Amino acid sequence: MFGLFRDDYDDDGFRTCSVTGMRIHETVEDHAQLFGLTAVVALVWGGVFAFTVPMTRWELIGLLDHTNYYQHLTLHAWNLLIFWMVFMEIAILYVGGPMVLGRRLPLPRFAKAGWGLMVAGAVAINYTVWTLSGVNEAPLLTAYVPLPTAEGFYAGVIVFLLGATIAALPFFVAIWKEKRANPGRSLPMVAFAAFVTGIIAVEAIVGGLAAFGYALAWRTEWIANGDPALYRVLYWTIGHGSQQINLVAMITVWYFLTHVLGGARVVSEKVSRTAFILYLFFINMGAAHHLLSDPAVTTGWRVWNTSYAFYGATFASLVHAFAIPAGLEAGRRARGEGGGLLGWLTSAPWKNPAFSATILSIVLFGFLGGTTGVIMGQMQLNMTWHNTLATVGHFHGTVVVGTTLAFMGLVYFLLQTSFGRELAFPRLASAQPYFYGGSMGVVVLMMMYVGLLYGVPRRTVQVVREIPGTDFSLSAAQPLFAIFGVLALLAILGGLSFVIVALGTLLKRKPLSGGAAAATLLPGGDPMPDGGTPPPTDDPDGDAAGSPAEGADDPPAEPGPAPIDDESLHAQDMRGTLAICLAFMAVFVITYVANWYLLSRLWSIGA
Amino acid sequence: MSSPLETPDDDWWSVPINRRESIWLALSGVWCLSIFGWMAGWVSFGDQNPVGETNSVSASEFRNAMSAYKAASTETEDGLIVPAGEDVYVGAMRFNWDGLPVALEAGEEYKIHLSSYDVQHGFSVRPEDTLSKHINLQVLPDYEWIVPMTFDEPGTYHVICNEFCGEGHRTMHGTIEVR
Repeated sequence: MFGLFRDDYDDDGFRTCSVTGMRIHETVEDHAQLFGLTAVVALVWGGVFAFTVPMTRWELIGLLDHTNYYQHLTLHAWNLLIFWMVFMEIAILYVGGPMVLGRRLPLPRFAKAGWGLMVAGAVAINYTVWTLSGVNEAPLLTAYVPLPTAEGFYAGVIVFLLGATIAALPFFVAIWKEKRANPGRSLPMVAFAAFVTGIIAVEAIVGGLAAFGYALAWRTEWIANGDPALYRVLYWTIGHGSQQINLVAMITVWYFLTHVLGGARVVSEKVSRTAFILYLFFINMGAAHHLLSDPAVTTGWRVWNTSYAFYGATFASLVHAFAIPAGLEAGRRARGEGGGLLGWLTSAPWKNPAFSATILSIVLFGFLGGTTGVIMGQMQLNMTWHNTLATVGHFHGTVVVGTTLAFMGLVYFLLQTSFGRELAFPRLASAQPYFYGGSMGVVVLMMMYVGLLYGVPRRTVQVVREIPGTDFSLSAAQPLFAIFGVLALLAILGGLSFVIVALGTLLKRKPLSGGAAAATLLPGGDPMPDGGTPPPTDDPDGDAAGSPAEGADDPPAEPGPAPIDDESLHAQDMRGTLAICLAFMAVFVITYVANWYLLSRLWSIGA
Repeated sequence: MSSPLETPDDDWWSVPINRRESIWLALSGVWCLSIFGWMAGWVSFGDQNPVGETNSVSASEFRNAMSAYKAASTETEDGLIVPAGEDVYVGAMRFNWDGLPVALEAGEEYKIHLSSYDVQHGFSVRPEDTLSKHINLQVLPDYEWIVPMTFDEPGTYHVICNEFCGEGHRTMHGTIEVR
């Protein structure tokens, strides 16, 4: 980053990555590192509240009381769900766009200005929430009108969103330049996925500017009455839309890291790209999931939107659920790595934390986060999930054991490649994804159980051991809360381990040469035996990577097996993947039926 | 090519799909249509749907309706409201449930009128002895939601707020006595 971490670029500012074979320009790498490191800072700060929040909800400890719990909850949400994720996603856009395409980063000043505005917005949000007073209540993530909060909070959000938009501009310009230079040629899969992520992000941000602009206008009394139903529709355009950015960015990382570290290939460009197109059209309808138990939207609107139009986006996720492990299976079988049903999986580099974090993210996201999202997104089932801790369980199943784990894997990867450092505490690093993913997975399950089986609400400081003013309480949920609390503590240690490894790696400054990085990260040899040459280009601007001839001169880090052609790839066995996916589908169906069974036992409700 | 980091071959669209992937696609498609059909169908044949009439109403209008409702109702000696007809009013406010506690008859259908006097709240109701049975509905100011409900089992049903409404949020509790 700006000369801090490496200086091995050639006169044109490019270097060739020994692990991916990509031609990387200094400007892209500098800014991706800047956003990535800022994301880790947000993770550390938000992680503090990942301790105080569950230790309050575990009422045996009851760390905080009602006067400051909600501020901690707000800061937990904004720093982790928004700042950690969005800073990381800008880095992913830069990696997926200009870096994969072998281009320099266009408009680097916009990248810096966007970063500055995002930091300013983030600081403003943290400051205003920390110093709330008077009638202002903690906004939590949602700042539902008409519950008042500090004016500076809304302004901070708007500044942050504008900053994110400006920071994304260089990515879009890079895509535009690429398409101008190479009309009619498809983008690489990762760049295409990043492009879809970018479009979904813009849709979400427009919704966010509308929502928080409206809320600010109401709070400063430009408009007399804030319509709570209108605000909810506007808000969830970004509230859920931003989670769709997380989802698509995470899937982009899945394709990227399973390929580089595990030798995965795209088994069907047609199928995988169609799935991304389905996301583009349908996934933002998912915002309606939050309005299912609302008075102000019609039944038809709810049924249509939460089904993402006949589950178009769910279908897309099911496509990736098969395509990514199938790519791993086909790629590894083609290289002779694995026989039998699951030999391709058992022989994978499980000690590499970048790889294991990616695979755990795929598995845990699918089983815990993905299925429950569809289930709670059915209009009637939502009545038993809405505003309970089960909802919180769902989204920790998506954004924590899914997205956060995948992004941690990406950080492990970038530390060794982009930052060129040997991982500090390698054994701790190897264990961290399992420890963190495993304990957090149990925490997620406990939140779902206490929410569904005991009706424990979210967003409250006290409800299980005692509700003030009544003998009634939800104390039957206490045993599960004990498991929740202990495992949450372990998960915090797991998160702390990540921070120790990441910061230790940066501070120790123990360099990892390109050859050593390739040897560490690619035990099975180069994922692309044909060398991973950059695409040929005849860019009139002349700011793309070198010519194909130059690219071909870069030898693969280690000689791999013979090139694999499409025919042999598509003839590959995918029976291991099909078996895993059928097991997944069985779990999905059983959970779905169980939820409907619980619902059908309820008293009669509804016209 | 089929590396996700490289431009695919020009004819990538015409590359055949692996048979097992096709099986999975078919299975997924059928599943998606099935769960859509079930959700849409339950609106007609199911007994639990978050569906009811919605009206625009100001807080003062709803308070007036609440007063008229209370005036028409009777009260038991332990302070429970006994509605005169099928309409039951529940007004959420920081940090109380206006209109609760209320006494209802098991097996009778009531129209529950839900609204808020101030901010957003959550109407979360469950019988005392079976906590796994609970229904959670959003309550918005300026909107009146009229949701029919029929409580089959007698007993005490507890209402708590499950949308954050301010520092006193945790104390918002009310009861429905079903007899």
